Amino acid sequence: MTAPNLIPTLDPNPLPAPYWVFEVLLLVTFFLHILAMNFMLGGAVMALVARWGPAKRKNGNRMFSDVAKKLPVLLPAVITLGVAPLLFVQVLYGQFFYTSSIVMAWPWFFVLVLLAAAYYGFYFVSYRREQNPGKAGLVLLLSVLFIFVIAFMFSNNLTLSQNPASWGAKYFADPAGWNLNLSEPTLVPRYLHFMIAAVAVGGLLLVLMAWARWKNDPGYARDVLHLGGKAFMYATMAEFVVGIWFLLALPRRMSYLFLGGSPLATLLLAIGIAGAIAAIVLMARALRTENVRLAGYSGAGIMAVVILSMVSMREILRLAYLEPYFHPEQFAVKTQWSVFPLFLVIFIAGVVLWFVMLKRYGLFARRNLPDQSGL
Amino acid sequence: MNYPVWDVAFGAGLLIAIVAILHVFVSHFAVGGGLFLALTERKARRSGDTELLGWLKRHSKFFVLVTVVFGVVSGVGIWFTIGLISPTATSNLIHIYVWGWAIEWVFFFTEISAALFYLYGWEKLDARVHQWFAWVYFGAAFASLVIINGIITFMLTSGNWVETHRFWVGFFNPTYFPSLALRTAICLALAGVYALITASVQKDTALKTRIVKWSALWIVPTLAMMPALGWWYIHQVPSNVWARSHGPMPTATQFAGYAAILLALTFSLALIARIRPARMHLSFSLLIALVALGTMGSFEFVRESVRLPYVISDYLYANSVYAASMPGDGGFNVENINQKGVLKVAKWVKDRDMTPANQVAIGREVFRVECESCHTTNGYRGMKNILISHGWDRNETQALLGSLYLMHDGVMPPFAGTHGEQAALAAFLVSLQPARATEDRAPDGHAVFVHNCAMCHQPRNDDPLFKLLPSDPAAATEALEHLPNLFPLMPDLKLTPAERTALVRWINTRRGNATRSAGQGGN
Repeated sequence: MTAPNLIPTLDPNPLPAPYWVFEVLLLVTFFLHILAMNFMLGGAVMALVARWGPAKRKNGNRMFSDVAKKLPVLLPAVITLGVAPLLFVQVLYGQFFYTSSIVMAWPWFFVLVLLAAAYYGFYFVSYRREQNPGKAGLVLLLSVLFIFVIAFMFSNNLTLSQNPASWGAKYFADPAGWNLNLSEPTLVPRYLHFMIAAVAVGGLLLVLMAWARWKNDPGYARDVLHLGGKAFMYATMAEFVVGIWFLLALPRRMSYLFLGGSPLATLLLAIGIAGAIAAIVLMARALRTENVRLAGYSGAGIMAVVILSMVSMREILRLAYLEPYFHPEQFAVKTQWSVFPLFLVIFIAGVVLWFVMLKRYGLFARRNLPDQSGL
Repeated sequence: MNYPVWDVAFGAGLLIAIVAILHVFVSHFAVGGGLFLALTERKARRSGDTELLGWLKRHSKFFVLVTVVFGVVSGVGIWFTIGLISPTATSNLIHIYVWGWAIEWVFFFTEISAALFYLYGWEKLDARVHQWFAWVYFGAAFASLVIINGIITFMLTSGNWVETHRFWVGFFNPTYFPSLALRTAICLALAGVYALITASVQKDTALKTRIVKWSALWIVPTLAMMPALGWWYIHQVPSNVWARSHGPMPTATQFAGYAAILLALTFSLALIARIRPARMHLSFSLLIALVALGTMGSFEFVRESVRLPYVISDYLYANSVYAASMPGDGGFNVENINQKGVLKVAKWVKDRDMTPANQVAIGREVFRVECESCHTTNGYRGMKNILISHGWDRNETQALLGSLYLMHDGVMPPFAGTHGEQAALAAFLVSLQPARATEDRAPDGHAVFVHNCAMCHQPRNDDPLFKLLPSDPAAATEALEHLPNLFPLMPDLKLTPAERTALVRWINTRRGNATRSAGQGGN
């Protein structure tokens, strides 16, 4: 049986807006989700490093505590921002996403159990970090391990959804869904590419925390800056190695896209590489001169651009993988004009309300001391 | 069959029920609890009750730990689970209602943000702004219910959507408003139920008394309104749909009964709490919560079983087969599958060629793609037990598969497929039960009825079987020989002469009983 026969047909309902509207929404919301995920997971890893790592110096426990208390806010940000791309991926790629999820149903289902456990772990750490730092550290370690496992399931599912040719053998061997996608050559480099990026952004989180404390608590802020800045640089360097591995693991047709085959894909990769190099150079300089503003601005600004370009590359890669089976033209489109404008109005109102909430909470009033807000 | 079927040994239906019921029990609290926070804080501040305010602060932490953690994760869990178990229905709902979900997501994001600002704002915000966050929270949470309710009720009563395919026609369907009213009442009651839990651990008896009285005020009146709201709800369900649940498959009425009993119990327990507020113990508050969970679970079971055989009413059967053919259905409609065969139409079938040797294996495949969304072999709604309890043999099973859509007053979708596939499914189903010893003793008429008739007929004088079957024993026994002659849609079950005689005798006795008990005098 050839793979295309197994690909589910679309349901009879047309897309309620043009394809590109959902693709843009998917891209933007996934970018926000992955940004939040990087801060959450990277932050949690940095908290562990501060607690136990080689940088265990006099401020280690304090850093651990300062990062740990942010985690119960960062994780719901990851989840709520993740629901939107989960919605839009189903709109466009449901045929592939549902099927791969079913092929690995039980591991996919257990994501929820691990997520709830990790989440409660974060709250435990946040509430007990002062009284019982030892136990809090262990619980945090466990939560972080769970999140690494969850991320691994996501990498499995996403790579599986792009490889319909491998579905049949896996499903018919075990319809109960105890499958993973371990035979996929890009699985490990792809997974590591995401996870190490998170560590880099976790370093950036420390840099931003150092920036916020620079005037009031310079000694501590300097420690935080150095730990964060170094993590940011080393992780970004490691990304080069993993990135090359990922590129080499791709089927030739796809790696070629990023090496001149497609001008857009090549440009995005170039932006990613140039951005990462620039970020390392600027961060090294910022650490040498202890210029926290340079570290914060260059790190955050360049990272945002680099992550956006990587997220776009990810979308290009998905379309390349699905090229034999999927074309945006396959959709019938019938825009729901009776409700789509309402969504736009509510969305804009929601964004405005969100900024009003930030303002009323006082996050803008104390620009230099965001950490004292408790968030 | 368009998608692979996840083979959950203990029952996919049970898994989805567990995830969904636990989620709704928390998500309704998340809505009502928002109003509770806003009004309790106002009450405490206006009356200068600092103890109450102190408790509310602790309660809001509990609130966030329950709703923002478990509520949010289990909400994502429903997405995961329905995608795994009913991908076709999920895909349809996504394409029909994505803008509804997207609007709901904006409210959801606002809601979660506001909850966290409220929790972390106890120390740093002034009273007015802090309460403003509670109102923003409640507004967003209620708005998300307003949206989701449209989509959930659409699945139960799609109204004129099937003809018009218009967003708002399906959204504001016949059960939209009663369901919104009922769910709002549930939200308010649960706000009180959860508050009792944190109230019960307060050491200050006077404070505990105040909280329990205040919480009971949220529970008792709303529960008292619920029977009326439930009645309104049920009367918006088309009468032929609700009628199914009175028949030989009374799951809905049975669970409606449980819901009523548990509702009354929750009401009584809350009343006891109100009468003896100072004695509220943690275990008692948890008991109330547990009974409330049972009520809520029963209500959701009613909704689910009334919806059957559909997952989206009048549109898509629970086993992902479209009720009618339409452009773009991929051929996954009953008519096409009957014509071409499920082995040809289904995508996720391993073996498509049937031989006499592989009949049972083919039957297993047919079972997986057509039945496993609701049934298991030996777990939840397990076929093994159903077959053993009725004692059907292979021929009877196959005959019954042909009139599946009549069975249980139409709770089952029709069998879709060819005659050969039906035979293979019957062969597989029969292979599940152990070989039966042949019974030598004379058949018992009641047993014959239970085994062969009770899945469609009821022992009542107004039942078609009782009406159509002649009362003369000889004529009746002859009429039963070829059932489709009695009524064309009857399955062609073959009863032995002894079974027929026994059945007729039993039916005639019942007729006499029914007539006498109805007080219409003897013949």
